[in-house]
Amino acid sequence: MEDVQVVAMLVRRCIAGDAAAWEEIVQTYNRRIYNICYRFAGSGDDAQDLAQEVFIKMYRTLPSYDHTKGAFVTWVTTITRNLLVDHFRKSKQDRMTDSIDTSASDHEDAQPLSEQIPDQSAPPDAHVRSREVSETVHAALAKLSPELREAVILRDLQDMDYKEIAVVLKVPEGTVKSRINRGRAELARLLQRTYRQVM
Amino acid sequence: MPDHTSNGMQCNEFETLLTDAIDGVLTGTGLDRFQAHARVCRTCGPLFAEAEAGRNWLKGLTEVEPPASLVMNILASTTGVDTQRLRVTARAAQPRISWWEHVQATVAGYMEPIWATVRQPRFAMSFGMAFFALSVGLTVSGVRPVEAAQTVGQMVAHPSTIRHTYYNTQARVVRYIDNVRAVYEVQAALRRIKRDVAPAEPGQQQSRPAKPKDDKNDTTQQPEQKQERNYSQTEDHVILASAPVGPSPSVFDSSNPDLPVVSVTTNRRFV
Repeated sequence: MEDVQVVAMLVRRCIAGDAAAWEEIVQTYNRRIYNICYRFAGSGDDAQDLAQEVFIKMYRTLPSYDHTKGAFVTWVTTITRNLLVDHFRKSKQDRMTDSIDTSASDHEDAQPLSEQIPDQSAPPDAHVRSREVSETVHAALAKLSPELREAVILRDLQDMDYKEIAVVLKVPEGTVKSRINRGRAELARLLQRTYRQVM
Repeated sequence: MPDHTSNGMQCNEFETLLTDAIDGVLTGTGLDRFQAHARVCRTCGPLFAEAEAGRNWLKGLTEVEPPASLVMNILASTTGVDTQRLRVTARAAQPRISWWEHVQATVAGYMEPIWATVRQPRFAMSFGMAFFALSVGLTVSGVRPVEAAQTVGQMVAHPSTIRHTYYNTQARVVRYIDNVRAVYEVQAALRRIKRDVAPAEPGQQQSRPAKPKDDKNDTTQQPEQKQERNYSQTEDHVILASAPVGPSPSVFDSSNPDLPVVSVTTNRRFV
């Protein structure tokens, strides 16, 4: 995924005060971090704020990165995950009171989940249908518990291997696999339930 | 999850192998046993189907595009510099900058924080006073900054000017010393003349007799001038006050010859 030496050099330049190196890091990782934040937080605005916070934290703690202990992307993902968990804990009460029909997406055209189910009569075109399905899955993903959600996001959306996920989540690899299985199954059940309600 | 055995596989083992089966890395006998268990187990069979469906749903999600302002905001909040915007502006303008302007910009970059500090009122007054003291000092010592700058400028411009200035200065110093010597010689000659002329005027010497330094009678322990005020106490001159013996036409009337002749002697202190 990344050339360790190149990234290590980039980090060293950045620590030395090279603004161009820092900009390169931001350009390289902003998309990935934004997507993790977006899928975890469920909101585009929240994702933007969280991604910004992640980079601020990364900028401050960059000297603590040791390339011999792990890949830079794992380190970045760990920072992101820790910040997302903190964010979740702060807004836990709000999330607990959410219902399945509450608007979960601000990034796209947010609608209650039951209204986002595609109409069987006549979908306008495949692109729109695909977008609607994505919104539905995204809304269902937001309903998973944080432990399951972060596991499936890192595995199925970020394509990280189990060992890296175990490092990021600080749990054994077996636990990671278990969470991924339960997360996938729970997501499928949520979506089936939603479709059944509409039908 | 109920832990029962079906086809030689327990449900715990089935769950452990579930991710491998979905990832497609489970092969051979392990896969056969796994599939057999999934077919007969009422719990594990649906779990496998749901997990696979959930994975397919998630794989259908595409990456979202971050907002265009994200990178700019991140850079502004971390380094404090909107480098992206600066770069776009630089690309759009691309003015020609000379090496002198580069130097000026670099120096200005270093000097700006210092200048910002100096401009603070508490420091500005101190620097003002220091400048005033320096200018007064230079004026008193006869150094004119303009001339000094001109001299330095000339010296920088022509190296021969340095030699010229050196010889000029040396000649000026020699001339000054010669003049001083002449003045001293004139003064010495005048002093000799005065000394030679002095014996011809004895009054001068008598009028100011040399006072012995070792005045043994000085018991007052007072300064010399103050002691002079009391000199009459130490003088033993007796001044005889007497009236003229005979009648004096200028003083007495000659028509009164009966006036007694009185002779008075008194010790009077000379004031």
